Amino acid sequence: MSNLLSVENLTMQFGGLTAIDNLSFDAKNNEITSIIGPNGAGKTTVFNCLTGFYKPTNGQMFLHKDEGKISLRKYTDFKIAHVAKVARTFQNIRLFPAMSVLENLLVAQHNELMVASGYSLFGLLNLKSYRDKEQLAVDKARYWLDIIGLTNRADDNAGDLPYGDQRKLEIVRAMCIEPKLLCLDEPAAGLNPKESAELNKLLKFIKTEKKTGILLIEHDMSVVMGISDHVVVLNYGKKIFEGTADQTKNSKEVIEAYLGVDE
Amino acid sequence: MEKKDIIQSVKDSLFTGIIALALFGPIVGLRTASKGEGLFITPQWGLVFILVGLCILGRFLINLNSARKTEFTFFSKFTSKLSSITEEKAKHLAITAILFAVVFPFLPFTDRYFMDVAIMILTYIMLGWGLNIVVGLAGLLDLGYVAFYAVGAYSYALIATTFGWSFWICLPLAGIFAAFFGILLGFPVLRLRGDYLAIVTLGFGEIIRIVLINWYEVTNGPDGITGIPRPSFFGLPFKRSPDEGEASFHTFFNLEYSTMHRIIFLYYLILVLALITNYFTLKIRKLPVGRAWEALREDEIACKSLGVNPTNTKLTAFAIGAMFGGFAGSFFATRQAFISPESFTFIESAIIVAIVVLGGMGSQTGVVLASIFLIGITEMFRDLEQFRMIAFGGAMVLIMVFKPKGILANRKPTIFMHGDKK
Repeated sequence: MSNLLSVENLTMQFGGLTAIDNLSFDAKNNEITSIIGPNGAGKTTVFNCLTGFYKPTNGQMFLHKDEGKISLRKYTDFKIAHVAKVARTFQNIRLFPAMSVLENLLVAQHNELMVASGYSLFGLLNLKSYRDKEQLAVDKARYWLDIIGLTNRADDNAGDLPYGDQRKLEIVRAMCIEPKLLCLDEPAAGLNPKESAELNKLLKFIKTEKKTGILLIEHDMSVVMGISDHVVVLNYGKKIFEGTADQTKNSKEVIEAYLGVDE
Repeated sequence: MEKKDIIQSVKDSLFTGIIALALFGPIVGLRTASKGEGLFITPQWGLVFILVGLCILGRFLINLNSARKTEFTFFSKFTSKLSSITEEKAKHLAITAILFAVVFPFLPFTDRYFMDVAIMILTYIMLGWGLNIVVGLAGLLDLGYVAFYAVGAYSYALIATTFGWSFWICLPLAGIFAAFFGILLGFPVLRLRGDYLAIVTLGFGEIIRIVLINWYEVTNGPDGITGIPRPSFFGLPFKRSPDEGEASFHTFFNLEYSTMHRIIFLYYLILVLALITNYFTLKIRKLPVGRAWEALREDEIACKSLGVNPTNTKLTAFAIGAMFGGFAGSFFATRQAFISPESFTFIESAIIVAIVVLGGMGSQTGVVLASIFLIGITEMFRDLEQFRMIAFGGAMVLIMVFKPKGILANRKPTIFMHGDKK
């Protein structure tokens, strides 16, 4: 399996605080790579560096695409999603609550639709070429809503959905930009066991059917151990372990630093 | 309602009374009157007690209302009914309203005064619709919108007086100038949100006004610009006695000369401009850029994570909002034939923002209702002179108490998967 993402010597300092210390790891295509570790270990900071919200102090991040490898440092802000095709979700859900579920999924396809609408000109003239493109975007939204079983709520406000559905909606909204790499920040937080199981199914589907690499931050070990192909363990900004789920479960350092012992 | 609650609300009302007494006591109670050689104080305690009594009673009634948790108030019921009607029969209602606006100048009771008020209300409706793009859709609180109104008015006035071009050429130019200033304001405030943005835009509005006052060579300073050309009916001027060999509106159509012709023409002009603004806003709201505006209002970070360019999106909102402000400004200039910086003070911005917020952010119909309500009420109380601002304030308080989200606050999705059920 080929590499999708390589993080090399990533360091992030805030003043005197080193949040990430010389971190290197790889994530492979069609795999789920989990980043685990205690609170404050620097997991979300890694995400913020990858997705352009922070500029790392040192180190490189490369995304391997078909047309060659690109450095993520070069892209900031919205270009990470638009050009580099790295999508993310947030620890505290960030939907557009007062907009409908369908509209949420259409905003994710903003850039294609913007071109299709001739930067609003064709759209104002209501040309057929634009209407067709819009229909395609709606079809794509319907496809994803069918998968998470929310098609009948497409016209309701996203903020009115139950919590678990909001989580799933945020994930499929990120999938609407057709990312190469999907970064999920604690997608199972606040979900009940049934919803966690559904989430596992969804993530496996994205991995196998959509050929998208997934990077996952999670505290829920039933999710991590159930679906991860590869686990990276962080503590105080340093990588303390890397391996498969089973290796991680049995590693002494990881148990000491994070997992703890069953009583 | 329990006894405890009643005692609580009585206490609260009495406290309100004390505050009212402290305010009304010196302001109303001690009236200065000049008699003969000096200034004397005439106390009017009777009036103070009436006013304080009214405040206590009003507060008590509001307390009773909120304690019961029922909406027995007429106003509240009226507006909820209004929202359900406007939602159900939106199309019929809009057509009826437009038809009424079209025949309005020819109704028997319509006189010059009514026409002037109607033109004023329509101007505010257009400004409200323009600002609605920036505040209602994109969620950028702009307290300096009058700046674009001023830029539009002055561009129109300067171009028309200098080059003598016709209204229909100057109008788009004024819009383009205003849009340019919109982008100019947009750049420095891209990173600001909420209160900070409001303060900077407020400052921008004042900067434009002060430049207009002090740049004497171009803007003629506080004296303003006079002799701005009146609009003509596609080349036919509204003059009593046209120049030799030239037709005017009434001679061309064989009508008796009347000053009302011009007023009616201006009325239709602003009606058409306002309707264009509305049509444009309704259309663009359903396009990707419109949805991006609303998404930006909801959550800017989420927008970035989805690849939406916040810079471009905000700048288009500022530019398009400013452009409509500029159009309204050119109309204002041609209608008045005289403009000066005095017409573009902060209070104008405040009124336009009030119209958008009270109407219900993002609601096009809400803007119409709020304009009619606010401007209409201030006009109705014109006889009270400066006290009419109390009516204006009172109207705002009423709406905020009973409809904190605005008169019509329901948002309808821009696109449906299962069809529009309502």
